[in-house]
Amino acid sequence: MKISTKFLLSGVLVVVLALMAAPLAAQDGPEGGVIIEGNLGGDPATFSPIIASDTASSRITEFLFPDLLSVDPSQAIIVPREGNPLASSAVVDSWDINEDGTVYTFNMRQDMVWSDGTPITSADVVYVWDAAVAGQEGIVDTPLSFIVAAPGEETGILDVQAVDDFTFEVTFASSACDALFDAASLEPVPSHIYPEDLSLINDFEENLNPTVTANVFSFGEFRPGEQVSLLADQNYIDADLGFVNLDGYIYRNVPDLNVIVEQYLAGELSVVDNPNVARRADIRADEGSQVYSYPGDRWDYLAFNLADPTNPQNGLDADGNAIDQGNHPLFGDVRVRQAIARAINVDAIIDAAVFGEGSRMTAHLIPASWAYHTELPPIAFDPEMAAEMLAEAGWADADGNGVLEATEDALYADAGTEFVFTLYTNEGNTRRTAMGTLVQDQLSQVGIQVDFQTIDFNTLLDIMDSQTFDTLILGWRNGYPDRPDSTQLFTPASDVVGSGSNFTSFNNAEFTSLNEQAQFVPGCDPAERAEFYFQMQEIMQEELPYVWMFAQDGMYAARTEVNGFDPFPAQLYWNIDTWSVRSAE
Amino acid sequence: MVKYTLRRLLQGIPTFFGITILSYLLMTAAPGGPVAALTFGPNVSPQDRQQLAARLGVNDPLPIQYLRWLLGDDWMRWDSDGDGIADSSFLIPLDADGDGEPEPPGVRQGVLRGDFGRSFFYRRDVASMIGERVAATMELGASALLLGLSVGVPIGIVAAVTRGSRFDTATRVMAVMFQAIPVFWLGLLLIMLFGSALPRALGLDSPILPMGGRCPPVLIGGCPPIYGRIEYLILPTFVLATGAIAIYSRYIRASMLDVMSQDYMRTAHSKGLKGRSVWFRHGARNALIPLATFLGPAITGLLGGAAITETIFSWPGLGRFAVEAVRAQDFPIVMAVVIITAIATLLGYILSDILYALIDPRIRFD
Repeated sequence: MKISTKFLLSGVLVVVLALMAAPLAAQDGPEGGVIIEGNLGGDPATFSPIIASDTASSRITEFLFPDLLSVDPSQAIIVPREGNPLASSAVVDSWDINEDGTVYTFNMRQDMVWSDGTPITSADVVYVWDAAVAGQEGIVDTPLSFIVAAPGEETGILDVQAVDDFTFEVTFASSACDALFDAASLEPVPSHIYPEDLSLINDFEENLNPTVTANVFSFGEFRPGEQVSLLADQNYIDADLGFVNLDGYIYRNVPDLNVIVEQYLAGELSVVDNPNVARRADIRADEGSQVYSYPGDRWDYLAFNLADPTNPQNGLDADGNAIDQGNHPLFGDVRVRQAIARAINVDAIIDAAVFGEGSRMTAHLIPASWAYHTELPPIAFDPEMAAEMLAEAGWADADGNGVLEATEDALYADAGTEFVFTLYTNEGNTRRTAMGTLVQDQLSQVGIQVDFQTIDFNTLLDIMDSQTFDTLILGWRNGYPDRPDSTQLFTPASDVVGSGSNFTSFNNAEFTSLNEQAQFVPGCDPAERAEFYFQMQEIMQEELPYVWMFAQDGMYAARTEVNGFDPFPAQLYWNIDTWSVRSAE
Repeated sequence: MVKYTLRRLLQGIPTFFGITILSYLLMTAAPGGPVAALTFGPNVSPQDRQQLAARLGVNDPLPIQYLRWLLGDDWMRWDSDGDGIADSSFLIPLDADGDGEPEPPGVRQGVLRGDFGRSFFYRRDVASMIGERVAATMELGASALLLGLSVGVPIGIVAAVTRGSRFDTATRVMAVMFQAIPVFWLGLLLIMLFGSALPRALGLDSPILPMGGRCPPVLIGGCPPIYGRIEYLILPTFVLATGAIAIYSRYIRASMLDVMSQDYMRTAHSKGLKGRSVWFRHGARNALIPLATFLGPAITGLLGGAAITETIFSWPGLGRFAVEAVRAQDFPIVMAVVIITAIATLLGYILSDILYALIDPRIRFD
């Protein structure tokens, strides 16, 4: 009996020790597995960081090539790698800034090498800069040309010089805080295998078959129209576990919104990024899914044309002086815009258009932004107040036909003008069609007649650029890390007929000044900069060049077999080196 | 026959140019434009847009754009002293974007010299991108054509022979259904049925048939030969073939009925030949002759792809590729697909005429 008890205890001890040892043993090497993600868009255009500009290409290049600067994924801001435990892998450790804030000296790590063993040096960064300059001259087909400072402009990079093998200096056109965003675009490439003649970059064979890389994955193969596969690179220097836990990653083309969800639910895809809002309930109800939702980076708005649509003009003349653009007869009056914002029930629109998968916007910055004004409440739905405000602005239904007419008190409309306008959006977008239909219905309750039209997307862009519209519903998608600068959307310099993004002709001197001040905060402390952005958001809630609608919530979902799934907003794969996939039992 | 073929080919040349001019006009007349589509974003400056427009050449006059596409631009702006900087130009300015520096020398050779240009969006050579998709397009198209013919033709013959029977009625209903059912709906239904509903009902862990793609999702090793991945072809082929089955069965039925009313068929019957022998050996052979007019364009038309089926089944074909290019206003890709389809169609009709004359001895090359 004693022997058997001892035997039993020994057995239990062995089992307990084995169980304790199991997790340790699992850390000895990769658990393996392959992540298969659906790609709703087209093929990646390229796998070269110099040429990549589309989402699909960036998805792949971010896995293959090292970033220049680190990002803290929890806050979505650029940070020095040194001293920031959550900072993403990057080749730059730290940087110093000269007195006037125009020259940054970047200190690179000396322990990073390309997959062929060649060290990653400042020459690899300078090469990308040279390609960007060649891009501006039309020699290299690269989107990086936008970081090169144009003559007379206050933004962009003037020059990049190598100081030594692991130090380089970037001279900016000004001390703007967004300088780091421009610098971050200089993601190094293995210059020792790239062509010396920059014009050959466009058709360089490595663009589609990168053999020398330095990140979590190395390149597997590209099957055009089908998939891109990547293989775990066990030489990845910043692997949290000491190794890359996965075997690989496949980015598989699935161009249909419904099919991508069906494939995911059936287990053919392991991850889905921002699935169709109409199918998210199915994913949440699926026991085999782990889901992460967050306030997204895509936001929809209803934009007003504030200037005279019959005579569109630029915001500034060649000397930078404001041009009199006239006023839109209806929307030139800010009281009218404020009334409309109160007559629209945005919460009801979120429920109907995106099945509740949206977060209200209070002004022009997305709720996920580091500069978002959390103290600013959204404009409340109040049709009675809207009616009062319209009456104060000189609009009344004198003839009792249910549509308001302008009285003598109206600011820009001739007396007797009916409150009728056109609202455009792009056809084929069910979300925006629902938004327009609801806006049309809600505004009819306060005596405003909306002629809602859905038109071809390119036609809509034409109308938008020509500034001949009354109102339109469209959306923007913010970049990552978030860049709250509003120069292109809401300052007069970008109010250019035919090509400017400030197509509403919004011009508020205080707003423009705050936007500039936020760019030039000494030291660029985010908290200090945010104070300026808070004030700008308060102005925007009053001025309303757009009716601030909502940011569509983002959603990531992964099969429960996927280990390590722990995203941040707009950062699904920040820790992918630790991911693994349990094989089906 | 050689003379006839040559004449037909020569007649096709003006048609080809007519198609290219019309297509180019239609494409560039569309509102918007590639620059607006490529630069739609909150942080793009007007200068970035102007720079891109100059680089793509979309601000040039329409005849210049067409000439560049047709004949290239290496003769429009060139470097005569070999220093790598353009110093001479014809029809277009040396400095297109007005920045005081000449634009780089032209490198495009134009469609007539086999250069389809460079995609605005993908920034790659269009010809190689199309080449990457031809095999997949032909694979799906040929399978669907084969299935359409091998099912549609026998159904049509039997329906004609058994005119008025239940089989005839059933196939008529089937043909109407197959033509009426939207492809995207049928495709989605089959994906859900074989991908999730049936496996769940049968207690299976994985889909019975793949829910999309042309090859298995493997990390390395490429796409196996067709016999190693036949399961990927089943659903898209069936969906794409439904229309062909409907059309061929009804067409052959009508043709067969026409043949059956001919004198030689009555003669064959009166000579005591068995019904089956008369129908299939004499009737069906002749009923198939008009099919030749279908086959030429159908075979060459395979190159056009099938956009909806390819999209639903994630099939990497030309149809889907072309539709995506139209949406993005990627002119070089759209024009290349138009040209290839136009040439294929022209050749298809010529092939059809030749086939017709070869099959039917009553027709002579003239």
